[in-house]
Amino acid sequence: MKGPKKSVLYGILGVCFVGQGLLMRGLGYQPSQSDYDPVTVENKKTGVFRVVKKLKPGVDKPAFQGIYSSWSRDFAPRKTVAAAGLSPDQLLFALAGFREMIAGILWVRADSFFDTGNYDAILPIIRLVTILDPSQIDVYATGMWHIGYNFTDEEQRSDRRYIPSALALGKEGCRQNPETYEMFFETGWMWYHKIDDDYPQAVKWFEQAQTKPDMIPARKNLLAMAFQRDGQPDAALDTYSRLLNKAESEFDKDQAFGNRQLRDTIQNNIDTTLVRMVQRGWVAEKEGRPLTGYDTDPAFDVGFSAKATIIDSRVIKFEGTWNVLPVGTRVRVVLRDKDYTVNLDGKDTDVGKPAGMNWDYSNDVNLDPPRDRTFMMDQLFVRNRRFSRKVDLSKDPTMYPFTEKEYWLEFYYNPRSAPPHIQDKFGYNGEGMTDKNFLRNDVRPGQKLPNGKELPQKVVYVRLPISRDMILRRGEWQDKVPVIKTPNYVETANNYDKDETLIDIPSLRSGGGAEKK
Amino acid sequence: MKPILSIASTTIGEAIRRKVLLIILLIGVLFLFVAPGLGVLSARSETTVLRGMMLGIIQLTSAVIAIVLTVYMIPNEIERRTIYTILSKPVTRWQFLVGKYLGAIGALGMMMALMSSIMILVFWRLQSADVSQLADLAKAPVMYFIQMCLLASVAIFFSTFVSPLVNFFLAGGMYLLGSLFSPFFQTLSENPNTAQVAKIFALVVNTILPNFSNYNVQNPIINPNQTIQNEGAYYLQVTIYGLFYIGILLVGGILIFDRREV
Repeated sequence: MKGPKKSVLYGILGVCFVGQGLLMRGLGYQPSQSDYDPVTVENKKTGVFRVVKKLKPGVDKPAFQGIYSSWSRDFAPRKTVAAAGLSPDQLLFALAGFREMIAGILWVRADSFFDTGNYDAILPIIRLVTILDPSQIDVYATGMWHIGYNFTDEEQRSDRRYIPSALALGKEGCRQNPETYEMFFETGWMWYHKIDDDYPQAVKWFEQAQTKPDMIPARKNLLAMAFQRDGQPDAALDTYSRLLNKAESEFDKDQAFGNRQLRDTIQNNIDTTLVRMVQRGWVAEKEGRPLTGYDTDPAFDVGFSAKATIIDSRVIKFEGTWNVLPVGTRVRVVLRDKDYTVNLDGKDTDVGKPAGMNWDYSNDVNLDPPRDRTFMMDQLFVRNRRFSRKVDLSKDPTMYPFTEKEYWLEFYYNPRSAPPHIQDKFGYNGEGMTDKNFLRNDVRPGQKLPNGKELPQKVVYVRLPISRDMILRRGEWQDKVPVIKTPNYVETANNYDKDETLIDIPSLRSGGGAEKK
Repeated sequence: MKPILSIASTTIGEAIRRKVLLIILLIGVLFLFVAPGLGVLSARSETTVLRGMMLGIIQLTSAVIAIVLTVYMIPNEIERRTIYTILSKPVTRWQFLVGKYLGAIGALGMMMALMSSIMILVFWRLQSADVSQLADLAKAPVMYFIQMCLLASVAIFFSTFVSPLVNFFLAGGMYLLGSLFSPFFQTLSENPNTAQVAKIFALVVNTILPNFSNYNVQNPIINPNQTIQNEGAYYLQVTIYGLFYIGILLVGGILIFDRREV
């Protein structure tokens, strides 16, 4: 061979091979995705918010960072989706270019499915679009709402088995778009509005949304609302005060109508919160003073009783009493598998909890809910101190498969979810509510007061066992009507109480006690 | 050096006269001009879609050109027996191979420069992008050029011992594998359920194979919401990586071509 000797060529080959390997892999420990925290920073010149990945405390900088480590930090097509275990064909899609274009076209297609009511067809599109273009926040937000709200039975009861998937989608949206508040807010909203029971979670997500600089000021009020629902009016007040300071400074800078309106709204909210904190005895409770004379004293006996009659296969009539006359009470009823198990990490895990579920059990977006599980949740509206509602589960066998033998029928009332005019009497944590038979303070966590005292969360809760044979009217129940009721339930043909005594709910507007007949 | 440059310039001349390459380029350019009108089909922000689509067109067209240009280069010379006239002159085989390679990437560079200029022009005229935005946008084609140089070296290497058709699929397959393997490796390494053996295997393969995905820097350009840390150092690193890998393939090609009977 003329020209360079073979030994030289082999030498070059060796040097190049070692060199490329060294550049690719680096020297020392190479940080992976999980070693970084996304931090949102604002570019002062452009006003654009960007995410900077910073090494977590305790993780050492590599001696020499390889290309792979840098690439997966800064350039990889959305690492967390890849880490969630995409199949190679999905990866191929994601990497073949034109991702945003294809995702956009698919989303337009999904819109036509919305119009025709073909909701099932939308789910795979949502998943595909979020994989192809994880920056498309609208798809995450709309998808979350769609999964959480739109899968309903014939009577418009939503399929709660989908909620963990909706939350998982929300969490993925947050991981993919940590620079903006939107998905944190949407996830918080799902906890606040749809789940409407586990308020510490709503607070957690709204608080994270507030840390994002692009959050719309008007939406920040929701954190204070969530704090109140969580029984922490003092934290709500702190939030409002902080927002008021900001709103006032904005109004000083620019006296536009929007700025004025925002400031006035926050002021009004602060006034209302202060009045409620005092009148509901929260301030007295915090200071360790007796609650005598406050609206929550004496505690009002709600006199709960319930009966469930299986009038036909999968058709249940719920009746019961609730002594609160003003309209606005909704008692939650849940019918679920006795062991509401789902397959997590290859084993069946019971994710059921009293009158609900461990909604947050999944981090993987699984658009196929556990179809062999049964979880029915509905609200029983109280009118004239009674409730009566027929629930027909016969038309939607896929939503209510009744594959298990044993079930819980649960009735639940949490004063934290009550409308303000009823909460004025019951208090933030049920201080003004009692029930001779079913008052519980071990079903939901209480509130720790600043003075170290634990304020228990009072709820009304009862669960009654019910079998599949009873629900399906099979076996011994073929000819008998199954009736399940609380021991205190009294049969009455009278749905209207002639002597309609108003409970003593001092209203904020009347400035004191309402009339008593 | 002179023989190398002579062969390179002749190769460039041949390349820009090849109709099949011009047709591929023409299709790419046509798509670049049509792209702004396609944004309306999508629900996504028009700028985002346009950026993604234009960069995708440039990358895809360049990859096809790079493969088609290089797979026929050596076999054609042998088949048409023109190689004898070249090698009978004071030109060694390694100079011939390197000259051909430089000519190929020269032609490729010209075609990519044309497409990138059209993209910049479209963004400047239709999207009213400022200089810094245009400079940001231009980073991706520059990285793609190094990627295509690497792809061309893969095809040149294979062309020293396989037929053009086989080479077409081999080089294309390597490009696909090298583009996909980093995310695939990432999936494997971050999945707690992956067996240790599979992780080690993926690590070895990912270290040995030419890694084309290093040059796919379009994601933060399309969705500019992340600050790239040590951006300059990264580009320098991947450029040196590319040179090392091109070196491996060219030296390998020279060693094989040197032993081949023509």
